[in-house]
Amino acid sequence: MQDLDLPLPLPYLRVDREGKITGSSALAQERFDLSKGHINSIIDEESIKKLSQFRWVSGLDSVKFELNMKTKDRALALFDVHLQWDLDDHANMILLPKDSANEKLTQKLMAIQHRLAETDFELLEKKEELEQVLRRLDELSGPFIPLSGELCMIPLFGDITADKINTISESCLQSVFKGNYEIILFDLTAVGEVRTDGVEKFIQLVKTLSFMTGNVIKLIGIKPDLAKVLNHYHLEQWVEFNHSLEQELRVYLNH
Amino acid sequence: MQHIGTLASILLEGDADKAWECIQRYPAVSRLDVYQNLLTPAMQQVGHLWEMNEITVADEHLATATCDFVLSKLAFHPDKRRSGRKAMFLCLDGEQHYIGLKMVNSIFEEQGWETRYLGPSLPLEYALDFAKTWRPDVIGLSVGIVYHLPKLKDYAEAFAALPDSPSVLLGGRLAGLYDLRPYCSADTVILRDLPETEQWLRHFETGGKKHAGFGSTASSSVFES
Repeated sequence: MQDLDLPLPLPYLRVDREGKITGSSALAQERFDLSKGHINSIIDEESIKKLSQFRWVSGLDSVKFELNMKTKDRALALFDVHLQWDLDDHANMILLPKDSANEKLTQKLMAIQHRLAETDFELLEKKEELEQVLRRLDELSGPFIPLSGELCMIPLFGDITADKINTISESCLQSVFKGNYEIILFDLTAVGEVRTDGVEKFIQLVKTLSFMTGNVIKLIGIKPDLAKVLNHYHLEQWVEFNHSLEQELRVYLNH
Repeated sequence: MQHIGTLASILLEGDADKAWECIQRYPAVSRLDVYQNLLTPAMQQVGHLWEMNEITVADEHLATATCDFVLSKLAFHPDKRRSGRKAMFLCLDGEQHYIGLKMVNSIFEEQGWETRYLGPSLPLEYALDFAKTWRPDVIGLSVGIVYHLPKLKDYAEAFAALPDSPSVLLGGRLAGLYDLRPYCSADTVILRDLPETEQWLRHFETGGKKHAGFGSTASSSVFES
């Protein structure tokens, strides 16, 4: 191998058709381990195929391509390779390290991606927190209130959704079962919007309770719009509609 | 085939909207089909174009970022069913090829798993800290560059030694190319592509857990970007 004394500002290699390194500049010797004397020994294995297609390029035009190379400091470093064949059938290669130019950009990109991923996590955690809060709210939107040995009341608050009724159902059925209540009042005065799937779940709950107690379930505080919806379901067999809590309680207090 | 070439050039343009349209037009049977037969080959095509000296590494970065965006959009499903299982996914320290890992993450999500996608280049100590507090059933690792292999054993052994002994999965471009067994711990499950991953997942859910066996039907490599 021939050492070149020219003070070239970039690593330079001269390679024959077989890939043998026949000449190198001082900087090339400083950057690369050239002891094997073959170009393939300083190129990343997956870049060798890429280089080989330029082995047969003829003509005196220079070509430029990227290669991953092994330097003394790094196992994998990206270079812009400028290659030109000379009249002696040797490839002259100038190697321009590329990472330094790309690195800043790549780092910025990575930082942005990292931030996005983190934000995504934070959102996910907040979403989970929110779901818990909503569930808790649902639990609190249908408190079970025992009024006497036989009489209990469940006021519903807020919108009637399937999720809410599901959440309430479990504790409600258990309490009724444990307490042997005979008369169950649902107070719907504080109900907001009513969703179809919510109503269906509610009717299921009412029917179940009716089976358990063997009595009709009393619904009080029904607003006109809710009455319209419930009317579609023909619930006469299962429920009794009463006007207000006051009326209902009067019946029991006089009892 | 035509879809793949078209998608590859759209990804290289960095046009996320067009890429999304292209995916919508693809007659997909399942999300796995999109990953395995459209996105993965399109990204492989991008790698091939670099080998042909038609594009630069900078172009590849743009294609990766665009593909990443599309994946996030594909993976978004507001109502997820819950299986109660947890899986976390990460690339070895220094490893930047994360697209395949992200696909695997979303396959797990689709099956109702709660997942944490920790992304590219995660140092072992952070991964361990996270695993200790979050206590996943599965830890998925990805490796795409040969020089990162020496670290693999440390990761695999450290995870295998966790108190809950999670299943450790290994994928990545290299898993499809070489036998990575010597770089793993005894229990590490090596998955060579997405169909194999899905198959493993099915076995796991039916109780096969760690020792689910596979046929050698692996085709192309996965976890690749």
